[in-house]
Amino acid sequence: MNQPNYRIEVTGLTKRFGPVTAVDSLSFSVEPGVITGFLGPNGAGKTTTMRMILGLVTPTAGTATIGGKRYGELRRPSEIVGAVLDASAFHPNHSARDHLRIYRTMGGHPAGRVEELLDRLGLAHAAHRKTRTFSTGMKQRLSLATALLGDPQVLLLDEPSNGLDPEGIAWLRRFLRELADEGRTVLVSSHVLSEVQQIVDDIVMIRRGTLVAAGPLREMERFRPSTVLVRSPDAEALKKVLLRGTSDGVAAQSVETGHDGALRVQGLATAQIADLASAARLRVHELLTEDTSLEQLFFELTADSEGDAR
Amino acid sequence: MNALIKAEFRRLLATRMWLWALLTAVVLGGGMVGLLTAVGPENFSPPMPGLETEEGVLSVFGMLGFTVFVPAALGTLAMTSEYRHRTATFTFLFAPQRWQVLTAKLVTFGVAGLVYGLVQTAGAGAGFFGALAARGVTPGLATGTVIELLLRLALTMAVYTLLGVAMGALIRNQIVALAVVIGYLYMGELILMMIPGVNLLYPLLPGGATASLTSFTYLADVLADELSTSPVSLLSPVGGGLLLAGYALVAAAVAVLVPMRRDVV
Ligand SMILES: Nc1ncnc2c1ncn2[C@@H]1O[C@H](COP(=O)(O)OP(=O)(O)OP(=O)(O)O)[C@@H](O)[C@H]1O
Ligand SMILES: [Mg+2]
Repeated sequence: MNQPNYRIEVTGLTKRFGPVTAVDSLSFSVEPGVITGFLGPNGAGKTTTMRMILGLVTPTAGTATIGGKRYGELRRPSEIVGAVLDASAFHPNHSARDHLRIYRTMGGHPAGRVEELLDRLGLAHAAHRKTRTFSTGMKQRLSLATALLGDPQVLLLDEPSNGLDPEGIAWLRRFLRELADEGRTVLVSSHVLSEVQQIVDDIVMIRRGTLVAAGPLREMERFRPSTVLVRSPDAEALKKVLLRGTSDGVAAQSVETGHDGALRVQGLATAQIADLASAARLRVHELLTEDTSLEQLFFELTADSEGDAR
Repeated sequence: MNALIKAEFRRLLATRMWLWALLTAVVLGGGMVGLLTAVGPENFSPPMPGLETEEGVLSVFGMLGFTVFVPAALGTLAMTSEYRHRTATFTFLFAPQRWQVLTAKLVTFGVAGLVYGLVQTAGAGAGFFGALAARGVTPGLATGTVIELLLRLALTMAVYTLLGVAMGALIRNQIVALAVVIGYLYMGELILMMIPGVNLLYPLLPGGATASLTSFTYLADVLADELSTSPVSLLSPVGGGLLLAGYALVAAAVAVLVPMRRDVV
């Protein structure tokens, strides 16, 4: 099958609301087949950017395209792009089924799609209930179901984990992974950096409407070598061994002793540390890699500019 | 476009509002006209010519003209609820050509308004002929003419529904839009007519166009009396109908060009 490549391309996008510049000459792209996290603190311009990509907000300058076309130029857009922007965008007196039927009709999607999605999103038991009786999590699922009516290749979700419990977040994570594995383009915004860390492959990080960083998360993490935490009764001796390293020059870049007596080692992998300790006949009681947190990364990437958007 | 219209019909039928609307139509049509016929215009205050005269019959049906705010308000509610409940976001995602969304709503509510009007006037006809038979009065207007008048009233209701939708699209804020639509119909136009000179425009204002469509000129005549001007001459019923539809189209066109283009945030 000849699948068009639905990447999102944002070029020089700018939006001013009166005196406020919400988005400022922003350029980035979002690739199919991976989950891209769209990150930034409150007020960074994530929602505004997503609404511009979707043709809901008119840019002051610049363009945003999906598969090379502006949203308004897409034929049958709901078959190409699905989006969730508001926590609740339903008529309070419509049932979940009514709501989905209206939009399934509007998009010209197959009739069976409504029940299929109610099932897939775990809403079948509540399908007849009026949306005003829905919990936040149920509303999120109904929004997602609406976005998926046309089985779109591109999915844009604005803060989808807002209001979800840990189980809901785990479910969402699996769900988005499935969609990305099917080759779809998935863009998920969040202001809670730690929350998306485990979900995303790529990140686009913005702050005050401008780009801070973009690319695969793994590559970003290379900027900041991971830290290994080592607990040992022979900590002082081990520290010397690790800094001296092996005969072929593999050594720790730095070893700090924490106030709890544990060592924080940079520049060595856990296996190398264990081997060095074993060769020196030193005991190791605990050995674990501390993930580079996106939050640390964010603060490091923006360390050179003063202040914060919050 | 067809899909959009079908979706709008689904949206309309998804809540019970249509049921309440039709019930209102029956009560306002059958109930009100039946009651007025039973009482007789000669007993109104101020008294009007009786039912055995043409004016008497017209005055009874003309009262229906005062109920146009109901379909107008329903149209306004339907349009503004897209913004109020934020469904506009989904709607414009599924149909990015926003003029198509408004067109679909106008088509849907044109039909709905006509159904409302037909139910109301069918009720009115039944109430009228029923009460007449009970009183044993012969009406001053041939049955065929009465039926034609009722159809014109039904059409008036449909056009007012369109006006309501278009005003809703223009104003977007539900409460403000309702206040403007109902306020204009009840007071705005009367106040306009107090201004010397403007009253000459009466035939071209929505109220005047409605009067020509419903052949109920009582208000125009009273005003002419009070302001001691010569009686204003209204447009023909067809002219009045077209003028009203024109108002709705102009409001819709302005809505598409200005407020509907605004950012949906
Ligand atoms: N309709 C509007 N009118 C005026 N200013 C706006 C409007 N929408 C957004 N802004 C401003 O634009 C900036 C970016 O807002 P936006 O909602 O895009 O940020 P965000 O990254 O989505 O934030 P959050 O994490 O809080 O959702 C903010 O300063 C906000 O106050
Ligand atoms: Mg936001």
